[in-house]
Amino acid sequence: MKPESHAWAELNRHAAAQLPRGFADRVLRQTRGPSPESWRALFSNGAQALRPGFAERVVRMTRIAADVPSVGSHLALSAATAAICLGAVLFLHDRSLERADARNIADWERIVELADDDATNV
Amino acid sequence: MESTATTELAAIVRRAQKGEESAQRELIGLYQHRVAGFVYAMTSRSDYVEDLSQQVFIKMVRAIDRLQAPAQFESWLFRLARNTCIDQLRRQKLRRIFLPFGEEHENIPEPPGAVDSEELDALRHALAQLRPQDRALLALVQEGRSHAEISEILNVSVAAVKARLHRAREHLREHYQPEHET
Repeated sequence: MKPESHAWAELNRHAAAQLPRGFADRVLRQTRGPSPESWRALFSNGAQALRPGFAERVVRMTRIAADVPSVGSHLALSAATAAICLGAVLFLHDRSLERADARNIADWERIVELADDDATNV
Repeated sequence: MESTATTELAAIVRRAQKGEESAQRELIGLYQHRVAGFVYAMTSRSDYVEDLSQQVFIKMVRAIDRLQAPAQFESWLFRLARNTCIDQLRRQKLRRIFLPFGEEHENIPEPPGAVDSEELDALRHALAQLRPQDRALLALVQEGRSHAEISEILNVSVAAVKARLHRAREHLREHYQPEHET
């Protein structure tokens, strides 16, 4: 045997020793991708994570969620309250303006009357 | 046989649309395991399964009266499931930006016994490396949805579904390493 043949054989032996056990199976599995059994096991693991009585709990939650006012109804109520408050403020403001106008006109009329009286007396 | 089952399902869906609670409960019972499996494939987290499945079915009950074709109930339900899971994964990603916890704190390993084989662990690991949209695509195929149904769910053409599916499978194979060191 030539010395280089011996070296090659040693090299090959060393390289082969680096491969883990089951190397071929692993390569084949990786090439094929996950098996249908793995997928089935994955889905089945997920299904097992549900606690018993799941459907009943969801129906109950839906019922509770239906009773709780939605964000939309909260917003609508807030908008209606704000509109009523604004209406009331505008109404009161208008009334107080009217009253002030009436008072001012009455004052002016009194002043005019007084002025007229003074003019007559003079 | 298939059409009888479809007719029966459509009848239950119609009853649920009228607000019959027993029909709603029946639908949840019929699909809870499949939806839970889908959620697990999407999130790889068993502690999310119940919560997200619950969200999916609450959305289902609330919106079922708007479903126009009862025969398309399954596609519609899995569209709800897909969107719910993708929303959750997006929220999780956003939370990670604002909270000082690293990804490793969110990806808590499954408790012993929850993952029963190396291959399953490898599959979960590989799925976790994919984009949520790709995960959803693969999970929908495994769930038995046809390319046409998936194209409806995703609002894209069948050709686009096939192309994306091919890419997703390639990526999954790249990351799928049974007996990987974790």
